[in-house]
Amino acid sequence: MHVAALREKIAVVPAAAPASSPAPESGAIVRLLTCGSVDDGKSTLIGRLLWDSAAVSEDQRAAVMHASQNRALNGEKVDFSLLLDGLQAEREQGITIDIAWRYFETARRRFVIIDAPGHEQYTRNMATGASHADVAILLVDARHGVKRQTRRHAAICNLVGIKKVILAVNKMDLIDWSEQTFRAIEEEFRVLAGNFAFAQIAAIPLAALPGDNVVRRSSVMPWYSGPTLLDYLEAVDANVEPRDAAFRFPVQLVLRHGDFRGYAGTVASGRIRPGDRLVDARTGLGASVRSITTMDGDLAFAAKGDAVAIELDSDLDISRGAVLSEVVRRPINADVLEARLVWLAEAPFDPESGYLLRTATDLTPVTSMSISALVDFETLASAPAHACAVNDIADCRILLGRPTSLDLFSELPATGNFVLVSAVDGTTVAGGVITWAQSGAAALGDNVFVLDRELLARGLCSDLGNSPADIAEFHRRAQEAAILLRSVGIPVLIEI
Amino acid sequence: MTALVSHLKLLEAESIHIFREAAAQFRTPVLLYSIGKDSTVLLHLARKAFWPARPPFPLLHIDTTWKFRDMIAFRDKTAREFGLDLIVHTNHDGLARGINPFDHPPSVYTDIMKTQALRAALDAGGFDAAFGGARRDEEASRAKERVFSFRAAGHRWEPRRQRPEMWTLLNGRLGKGETVRVFPLSNWTEGDVWRYIALEKLDVVPLYFAAPRPVVTRDGQLIMVDDERMRLEPGETPELRNIRFRTLGCWPLTAAVESEASNIDAVVDEVLRAKYSERAGRLIDHDQAGAMEMKKREGYF
Ligand SMILES: Nc1nc2c(ncn2[C@@H]2O[C@H](COP(=O)(O)OP(=O)(O)O)[C@@H](O)[C@H]2O)c(=O)[nH]1
Repeated sequence: MHVAALREKIAVVPAAAPASSPAPESGAIVRLLTCGSVDDGKSTLIGRLLWDSAAVSEDQRAAVMHASQNRALNGEKVDFSLLLDGLQAEREQGITIDIAWRYFETARRRFVIIDAPGHEQYTRNMATGASHADVAILLVDARHGVKRQTRRHAAICNLVGIKKVILAVNKMDLIDWSEQTFRAIEEEFRVLAGNFAFAQIAAIPLAALPGDNVVRRSSVMPWYSGPTLLDYLEAVDANVEPRDAAFRFPVQLVLRHGDFRGYAGTVASGRIRPGDRLVDARTGLGASVRSITTMDGDLAFAAKGDAVAIELDSDLDISRGAVLSEVVRRPINADVLEARLVWLAEAPFDPESGYLLRTATDLTPVTSMSISALVDFETLASAPAHACAVNDIADCRILLGRPTSLDLFSELPATGNFVLVSAVDGTTVAGGVITWAQSGAAALGDNVFVLDRELLARGLCSDLGNSPADIAEFHRRAQEAAILLRSVGIPVLIEI
Repeated sequence: MTALVSHLKLLEAESIHIFREAAAQFRTPVLLYSIGKDSTVLLHLARKAFWPARPPFPLLHIDTTWKFRDMIAFRDKTAREFGLDLIVHTNHDGLARGINPFDHPPSVYTDIMKTQALRAALDAGGFDAAFGGARRDEEASRAKERVFSFRAAGHRWEPRRQRPEMWTLLNGRLGKGETVRVFPLSNWTEGDVWRYIALEKLDVVPLYFAAPRPVVTRDGQLIMVDDERMRLEPGETPELRNIRFRTLGCWPLTAAVESEASNIDAVVDEVLRAKYSERAGRLIDHDQAGAMEMKKREGYF
């Protein structure tokens, strides 16, 4: 279709939304991660999507046309990838190393494209970008099919909680638009995806360069009757929360004004109404919602994503870091947890260094931490380990200095994720998801078994010396022992 | 009204969340108020974030003394109306040295009267965090900007030292000598800003709406003659044209566009059909390729 005609179709529409718009609860904004290996055609695909869906201004169009001519790319008229330039250093190196955010909209929906690099040495950037996405486009070159990198990308998407993935099989023109090859790639991917918790997988055959099945339906692949990429994106239900999700409200700060005392925060999951009973999982104290306040007036209810202030009918004396929840399904008041994380910092994990656990709104000192395994996302195998460094995916155990309210990521993502912060310089060193957590000793009163350094050094750890590896192993064993004891109901405190 | 407003409530909630996170984590935040449409939205969101209390930080305006007169009037009215503390800072040393946008190249003028002035004002106030209205869609180097953007001592922005931000978790723990710029509007586009202004019926500086105003044409750009300090070249006579501004800054450096959009709905419509990306109207950006990134490294936004 001619660009101008598309522009007419998409740029401005009358007040009533088109009948085909997705229902509001399926998400007014779709955040889209694009991942692929170098040369699979990612830049071309994004450029094409923007170009054909009228998200490119006239002066950008002119600049791209001009630059394309200068480069005289093998006979191609327009180099769509030029739409995606970035920081100077990256431009010089000719590669994307950071995450770039791009915004476009059609008459139906608003999109955010999160463009992250695909190489193994940028796993951390990809995981970071992926953590913001509702939907991922996994791009493969039709000539090569699913590669090791595709596995790693899928695993990262799964790790950070993406539920919908699109397998975009690009460069179909170079395999003669072959249905057979496409089906084989699709099948291979579906087998791979069986390892993950994706709720929906769509495979789309396309060619980014000529634009087939990106925005414009291809006329040369009549055997494909599914949606084009844009059709799919405009219709996908981006909201993954189950209807009856438990209510969570991490308190950001307390607002006071005259007689008003409200807890400010964003609903992390579920919904509430005035009159509902809430509880602070850390203290077990409860109160009822008196009002849900905003500058636009009090609300009849608040749901996931709403930024509000909640007034309670009695003072719970809570502050930032508390998580208000419904009474029955409460968060875990945990001081020991297991997690899977991606290491983000250049400096490797150091068991002797101080760390802080940043959950939704709480910041909790880490008493001790140990790595238990490294996960290879290309083979999906894990191997026991004590160390981890930048771009590694690792399983770990963390013991906290005091309990904090949290959930398992698989149940409630927004209160089940965290970043790890260096207590030394404040940097963010890792991001992770909680896979297991338990209320520890502190909450249980006097009858606590204390695992101290001496006790451990005499027995369980008597073979260990003072090397960093031995110290890490010392911590690991201490936590392992504590976990075993706790699992049979003995409250344990580690003091080492 | 135009379609697609349902996502504005999501953007609003996200921005409120960011304001609250910053207010909870930093000791002495300040809001960089530059009077334009983005600042208008920023301030409105700040009021929502802490309602019924007042935003727990002052506004800071860097006044080069070359802002449009309408802007200054709007600034003072706004601060009064909402009962907010307003700090106005001017680089008096630069003024005394006669730095002005006519005799000095835009890059020199901007560095002294804006960048240096901002750094001095932030240092003088001891502010550890400054809210700004920057959006990722404004310009290529901003497409990668963080919500909490860390500045090393001396306000230097080092792209390689920015912290990864995962999910909605914002880590505001400062290292030694560090300060932060906070960008609650990171995920907004120009179209969103205007649609939100329309939706919330916010007041903006009248210069955003088309009206007959005195202009001269220089290097193909329409420059409005806002006061008697204008230096007319031989043969130049201001003529009345129907113009409006897409961004507002120092009047000798801010180009107008010819437009018939004299009310908010018309502006929204015009923006959504935009033919030119927004910063084309800001003369300082034509200096060199990658200009914005250079300015950021030096401590401008
Ligand atoms: N034949 C063909 N070439 C393509 C297609 N999509 C991209 N390419 C080419 O593949 C190469 C790599 O594309 P690019 O977008 O730069 O890949 P990236 O590294 O993944 O961003 C370029 O030469 C593109 O022109 C396609 O659909 N068909």
